[in-house]
Amino acid sequence: MSLSRSPSPVPGGGWASPGLNIPSGRSSPTRGVTGSNGTPVMWESSRLKRGGSAGYPSFSTKNEGFFGRHMRRLSRSLPRFSTSPYYADKEKLGRGRWPIHNVPLLGRIRGIVGRMGRRMKIRLMVLLMILLSIFTFYNTPMVYHWRRTTWLGGGQKFVIILGANVGGGVMEWKGAREWAIERDSVRNKKKYVARWGYDLEIVDMSTKKRYAHEWRESWEKVDFIRTALRKYPKAEWIWWLDLNTFVMEPSYSLQDHIFDNLEKHIYRDINEYNPLNITHPLTDQYLDDDERSPVGDGNANSVNLILSQDCSGFNLGSFFIRRSTWTDRLLDIWWDPVAYEQKHMEWEHKEQDALEQLYISQPWIRKHTGFLPQRMINSFPTGACAEGGKNPRIHYDEKDRDFLVSMAGCEWGRDCWGEMYNFRELSYYLNRTWWERFKEDFLAMIWFKLTGQKVKF
Amino acid sequence: MHLPYPPRKASNPAPYLPRSSPLPGLRRTRLKLIALVALAFITLIYLVSRPSNKHADSVQWKPSGKPPVVLVTVLDEKKYGKGYLQTIVENRIQYAEKHGYEAFFAKVGDYDLKGAPASWTAVVAVRHALTKFPDCHYVWYLEQNAFVMNPELKIEDHVMQPSRLEELMKKDFPVVPPDSIIRTFSHVKGQEIDLVITQDKAGLSVGSFIVRNSDWARFFLETWFDPLYRSYNFQKAETHALEHIVQWHPTILAKMAIVDQNIINSYSKGAKGAQYKNGDLVVRFSDCSTAGKAQECETESQPFATKWRKAFANS
Repeated sequence: MSLSRSPSPVPGGGWASPGLNIPSGRSSPTRGVTGSNGTPVMWESSRLKRGGSAGYPSFSTKNEGFFGRHMRRLSRSLPRFSTSPYYADKEKLGRGRWPIHNVPLLGRIRGIVGRMGRRMKIRLMVLLMILLSIFTFYNTPMVYHWRRTTWLGGGQKFVIILGANVGGGVMEWKGAREWAIERDSVRNKKKYVARWGYDLEIVDMSTKKRYAHEWRESWEKVDFIRTALRKYPKAEWIWWLDLNTFVMEPSYSLQDHIFDNLEKHIYRDINEYNPLNITHPLTDQYLDDDERSPVGDGNANSVNLILSQDCSGFNLGSFFIRRSTWTDRLLDIWWDPVAYEQKHMEWEHKEQDALEQLYISQPWIRKHTGFLPQRMINSFPTGACAEGGKNPRIHYDEKDRDFLVSMAGCEWGRDCWGEMYNFRELSYYLNRTWWERFKEDFLAMIWFKLTGQKVKF
Repeated sequence: MHLPYPPRKASNPAPYLPRSSPLPGLRRTRLKLIALVALAFITLIYLVSRPSNKHADSVQWKPSGKPPVVLVTVLDEKKYGKGYLQTIVENRIQYAEKHGYEAFFAKVGDYDLKGAPASWTAVVAVRHALTKFPDCHYVWYLEQNAFVMNPELKIEDHVMQPSRLEELMKKDFPVVPPDSIIRTFSHVKGQEIDLVITQDKAGLSVGSFIVRNSDWARFFLETWFDPLYRSYNFQKAETHALEHIVQWHPTILAKMAIVDQNIINSYSKGAKGAQYKNGDLVVRFSDCSTAGKAQECETESQPFATKWRKAFANS
């Protein structure tokens, strides 16, 4: 075929396609195809275009329309019948097909884009940008790094210390349940940390005799916090978590949940909830105004220790401590042999009671300590603090979607693993995706109504 | 060599004017647009980035130094005669007035010690001075049975100047004589020191010490005054409590400097520590107060009383 345009029916001329019956080996257009009647053939459309001036060749070298521009490319992509004896029948499978993939991809895309309107192009571009942004932000590690960076998400400012291996080591063999608890708890924290770009430090709480002359059991917390502060120089807040805790709502970030609005969430006047009946504020004449005021200096930036109180006082199952010179001092003072010697018989909860003692007697500690309502960081299952029945200040309520559950004291006569398992399942259930909800709440329900059978999709 | 023809012009002259700037895209209107886009970008970054909240430590309040030094003395009116105490009060006030300091007197019984020995009053009194004079730079505690002998010496220059302090402080020095394992740090700088104290032959001497007004000072004094230390029955009450916390708590040890006794704490007799020499800032009658005989102190102080009056009158 030697023509660059297909023969088309013209109103007056019938199916005049004179070039077709000329067996021409040329691929370049001939100048002036001579028709059977001896006059140069003129297609109707081209005649109209040229203002009816006959006598010139009918084809045009200008880019006119899609076909004109892409003739060459299309014809190249058509199946070819090779007449060469060498290649005959070599590729039987491919014969007669349209090997569209022979056109380079780039060329094809360029072709599609070239045929598009300008407005369409812009629209598509915007759509593409949005999709690309969503992809890069949510499906690549970018969101992680964004959340981690100190000046963007600020995740690097938070380090979670998880006290694992409680009472293990030399004291006790760990059974299957203990391992399961540890595995679940650690996985839960790891997921949470990976989601928000925090750091996780799992520490070994197995009782060791660290100091030759003293048995400083459960004061290791102090050493671990110090080590973590050294290990993560960008960390501002350390969040201590006991092993028997479970982050129920991994979608809450610490910033959102607590630290962006610290003033609103914390209370510094312990009289708001005071199970220990601590006299507050201090009234001694020799103290500063800050130390005699019930709320310290009232600025949330001066809070260096944030903890919660359960039914019997301070609870150190989940608490925050901030990098500061104040913290260095507290960690230094926290364990003191003279205090320990006098009090170790009374101090059932060791470092927790020691902190209460310090809070009561030391004004400088009091003015930098803040409290969070317990259920913000440390909800209890109904088994803990069970004396007064279910207490809305203390106990977990799934309707409120409490952030964290701490199975405090479950190792004394309660079923740690059972509680952990239940809360884990509850957390999964509460945090199902919309697709899971659709399947389980809607489809399965319909199926149940129809057939009376419970199914799982 | 001369060329026969002047250099040829290009045979194809440029059809347009040459570029006015190296980057043709940067016209004025474009520049404006670029600036706008950059501004929008920066705003966006500003909006999404988190404000770095000021660290609690960085906004530490700095005292203005009015008065520069508060001189604290605890008077025991029950045990000692009026005339003797009057001399002491005069001595303090005259010294304070000379340098623009304040003298702060507390009395035994002013504070509720919850059954602890009366000597603990000193610690609370110093703490009280910090509250009462929040703008002072230093608080100097000088116990009752002592005189300021040299009116010329100022605390800021004589002791607390960082360069001077670096000369004075004993580095890598056992905290409790003769050879406790705990030694003062060897790498602390003069400006990091918040507590200057001396050591006599028995141990740290709390009869005369200087505290810099700071957050640390409050922490230190309140910790020292801890009810559990007061109830512990240390043999020498607050002295041993101090030795205890200094040796157990590095945050305290790191801020403490031990200086020679002659700087702020000379003794009238040389048996228990460095003996007073002419020109020393202070003389303390340490024996008499431990013996607990008020009369002894008064007689021991007589010669020094005339001496300081003379020195103050001359200056």
